[in-house]
Amino acid sequence: MMYDTIDIALLLAKIALVFFVILTLAAYLVFAERKVLAWIQDRKGPNRVGPFGLLQPLADLIKLLTKEDFRPIGADKWLFYLAPAMAAIPAIMIFAVIPFGAPLTLFGHTVLLQVSDLNVGLLLFMALSSIAVYGVALGGWASNSKYALLGSIRGLAQLISYELSMGLSLVPVVMLARSFRLSDIVNAQSGCWFIVYQPLAFVIFLISIAAECKRIPFELPEAEGELVAGFHTEYSGMRFGLFFVGEYINIIVLGGLAATFFLGGWHGPFLPPVVWFSAKVLAFAFLFIWMRGTLPRLRYDQLMHFGWKILTPLALVNIVVTGWWLVLRG
Amino acid sequence: MKILSDIAALLTGMWITWKHMFRRPVTIQYPEEKRQPYPRYRARIVLTRDPDGGERCVACQLCSAACPVDCISMQPTEDTDGRRSAEWFRINFARCIFCGLCAEACPTLAIQMTPDFEICTRDIMDLVYEKEDLLIDGCGKSSHYNFYRHAGIGVTQPRGNGAEELPPVDVRGLLP
Amino acid sequence: MPKLIIDDIPVEVAEGTTVLEAAQSVDIPIPHFCWHPALGKAGACRVCAVKMLEGPVKGIQMSCMLPVQEGMVVSTTDPEAVAMRRAVIEWLMINHPHDCPVCDEGGECQLQDFTIAGGHGIRRYSGKKRTHVNQYLGPYIEHEMNRCIQCYRCVRFYQEYAGGTDFGVMGSAGRVYFGRFQEGQLESPFSGNLVDICPTGVFTDKTARFRARYWDYDMAPSVCPHCSLGCNTTPVARYRELLKTVARRNEAVNDWFICDRGRFSNSVVNDPLRPRRAVVDSRETGVAEALEALQLRIRDIEEQYGPGSIAVVGSSRMAQEAAELLPQLAHRIGAGALCFSTTRKEQVETLALLELLSAGRSASQQDVRNSDCIVIYGCDPLNEAPMMAMAARQAWRAGAKVYLIGQGISLPCEVTECTALEDVPLAEAERPIIICNVSVRVELLDKLQESHSHLKIAGLFPAANSFGAAQVMRETGAISLEEALADGEIKGIIAIEADIPAALLDGIPFVAALDWLAAAAVQAAQIVIPTTAWVEMDGSYINYEGRAQQFSKVMNPGVPIKGLDPNGHPPHSHRTVAPGGEALPAWQLLATLIKLLDDDSRGLS
Repeated sequence: MMYDTIDIALLLAKIALVFFVILTLAAYLVFAERKVLAWIQDRKGPNRVGPFGLLQPLADLIKLLTKEDFRPIGADKWLFYLAPAMAAIPAIMIFAVIPFGAPLTLFGHTVLLQVSDLNVGLLLFMALSSIAVYGVALGGWASNSKYALLGSIRGLAQLISYELSMGLSLVPVVMLARSFRLSDIVNAQSGCWFIVYQPLAFVIFLISIAAECKRIPFELPEAEGELVAGFHTEYSGMRFGLFFVGEYINIIVLGGLAATFFLGGWHGPFLPPVVWFSAKVLAFAFLFIWMRGTLPRLRYDQLMHFGWKILTPLALVNIVVTGWWLVLRG
Repeated sequence: MKILSDIAALLTGMWITWKHMFRRPVTIQYPEEKRQPYPRYRARIVLTRDPDGGERCVACQLCSAACPVDCISMQPTEDTDGRRSAEWFRINFARCIFCGLCAEACPTLAIQMTPDFEICTRDIMDLVYEKEDLLIDGCGKSSHYNFYRHAGIGVTQPRGNGAEELPPVDVRGLLP
Repeated sequence: MPKLIIDDIPVEVAEGTTVLEAAQSVDIPIPHFCWHPALGKAGACRVCAVKMLEGPVKGIQMSCMLPVQEGMVVSTTDPEAVAMRRAVIEWLMINHPHDCPVCDEGGECQLQDFTIAGGHGIRRYSGKKRTHVNQYLGPYIEHEMNRCIQCYRCVRFYQEYAGGTDFGVMGSAGRVYFGRFQEGQLESPFSGNLVDICPTGVFTDKTARFRARYWDYDMAPSVCPHCSLGCNTTPVARYRELLKTVARRNEAVNDWFICDRGRFSNSVVNDPLRPRRAVVDSRETGVAEALEALQLRIRDIEEQYGPGSIAVVGSSRMAQEAAELLPQLAHRIGAGALCFSTTRKEQVETLALLELLSAGRSASQQDVRNSDCIVIYGCDPLNEAPMMAMAARQAWRAGAKVYLIGQGISLPCEVTECTALEDVPLAEAERPIIICNVSVRVELLDKLQESHSHLKIAGLFPAANSFGAAQVMRETGAISLEEALADGEIKGIIAIEADIPAALLDGIPFVAALDWLAAAAVQAAQIVIPTTAWVEMDGSYINYEGRAQQFSKVMNPGVPIKGLDPNGHPPHSHRTVAPGGEALPAWQLLATLIKLLDDDSRGLS
């Protein structure tokens, strides 16, 4: 009995911790993005609210919460209200399977720094990231607006296309680790990170997650130059905030996954594992922000062309080569 | 290889933005830091006086004609000393776009633009400036010009005493 | 019919036409100052220079002075001609003051236009400018001789065209001076035309001195309401104030000019005493409410005093549209009388003159100008309709004989005084015209017309729309107000722009007045509804010869901005309707009232 209670308490504590850290991080990622973009553009960025503008996310939150919750005429009420949650929740849920630190020993218990060490963790990630597409698709459709609809159609096609190359790029990882369990994958990299064996898979995965979290140069579903704000054009207040935060949660989660699959997860010398993991996640986040400050948006046909005709075949070739290599090595 | 040059191009861009991250920002923190605009900056409009203290504006309506947003209106009138001046002169700064065409059109150098750009108010009607708000006690940028000295009609000086003028003709004179 | 070529365009014009006119006939503009279609040529300004390439004369010539000849080849764009014109403009500007900003002509100045067109911008002459002393020329005309370019248009108009003697040219060479010998008011009743005719700002309208610029004017084609001639004008307004009136050319009517009465009678429109708001029993109200009150009051009066106790009174100064609606109104309310005139004498005389003219014999001003024998019969054109005297002078200048029957009447031309019509040799004339007014003995002229089939008559009526009002009078059997009030049955008067003497209004229990002037009826009325002046509405007048002429709305009705706010500038407030801007044209008010009455009667039945 005692055993179960502590387990559940630990589990709840981990969930709470993950929620808190991710949401805070997402909020500050917005701030960081604004700051970094400002620096890139020789500006100062937000610096009015609090010291160095550090309370800006709080101000943004208050602003979003106090804004009018607007629903366009003719919008599908339930889907319209549900869509932002469908975009944000699956993103957070993926984090349940990501190990963010080495197992700890606490009160005689071994505590995994991972909410749930699922044996099909990688598949769960694939499934949840597919579900997140619904948020985009339904939000855009339910808005009863041409811009939102066009954005959501783009989002739908883009996410499905790049899911393919993303999944295929992960097959060699599974082949190398011989497990779908994420903790096994991390442990398999204790000696050498998979990026060394699988540089091509890493690049494909990196490009695919950029497309997956709808970041420049793949932000066609939003494309403010063409579609106002794409699939969330009609959203206001905190519902827009959910879409917005969901995108940044996605960055954290996908950054975490990239670290887990290719950069050895929490493995690293000298520093504590949690710090290593956080540093890798933040490095990915910075990379995305940097890319946004540099790259232009792709044209839609270029995007599809690139996904289907280059990334997917490359990933397939990579699998075959990896297979041959494994077989030859015995 | 095209793909290699493409990747090089991407990396060049990334490198440039990376360098810019460490540059000093060009931002000026406006309410705390203020920049003194140059004297020819085009902001709040004033009506100046000639070196003798008279109003330069003769209400000739050229500024209101030149104004592309029709923010200037006036009513000319004749003063007791024969000068033409504005009975009322109004600039609606809520409408003004500070293009400077009025100052350019002004034949008497009366209407001039100053570098004072901080004229925001809460009430939009406070931006309707009347003549008493516009008229200043100085010559502005051109300190020597007095239109009536060169106008060629006797208003501020007896007829024929202005610059480059002969004394009035004696029409009853018999000399050729 | 000589043929010539101007700028590669072949032109064929009548003998005696100048090259300038020939060019104008094919829409080739040649700049000119001294030449004027009404005044002819003077050759004074030298700015109409053209190059004669081929033909009987060669080289640079003044196009206004040169009659066309067979085989001429003219170029207006030849570099030599262009250089000449440019030089002439520069000469003219040598003495012209630098005062365009304080000149009322600025913006509508021919000299300004041609200087810009000629490309002259920077003064090259380093000598001094010649100056003059100005004269006081009365309260209407401002004199600024420094601006003069010696085109002689003013003196040619004043002395030759209008027959004035008190204004002329003095001095010689560069000292030429246009003015009076002694300072004083210009005597000619046509002196205002100096303002129109001066190509620059020597003569400007003193009544509109320093008020507005050409590009800000509210302008529209209009008709002068100050006598029955119906001269064409362009009134000029700004900020809801009628500033000035300028002549508008109409060859058949006034040609180029108008008289001073028509030009300077603008203040009546800006009169602060004008009724601006509807008043019901000394309480200000809206126009719609006042019309409803009027409709109710009409019913009350009828119930109290029986049917036919109301008189509807119009006048000969109302626009024809309103005059036409008046009988309808009288019919709707079952009025006891419809009147357009005050006295019986006026009524009879007007109708008699109308009968006389209806035979298609009325003479236009153009007819008068082209006549060869004019009889001024018992009227004083210079006072009653000055432009008619001007027309007679033009006929006289062309060689017509002018006969005068009447005492103490002066005319701007030589006249032969006669005692009776029989003394005038009408039979010898080809285009004889008799100018008379309503007091004429109609039978006499009737008889005369039978014997002289080509005789035309110019009958001067008292007001702008007398002819039109008289027609309505004749068709509807309207009576004079004097007659209507004689039996004491009339208990209510609805006066629409009617000038009723105060004495006639005494003892009338109910008076309603629709007017834009503070007439006696307005002072006595229980219900006052403001109407618009002619410049504030679209409408038409029928002039003395039966010529219907439309006039257009020049300005919006309302209290002028000048003097509206004690601070001296326009108020800082937003309104959709100007203060006093509720006034409507009389015809519109009448139509609304008729509709109200119709709706009411339908509701009752």
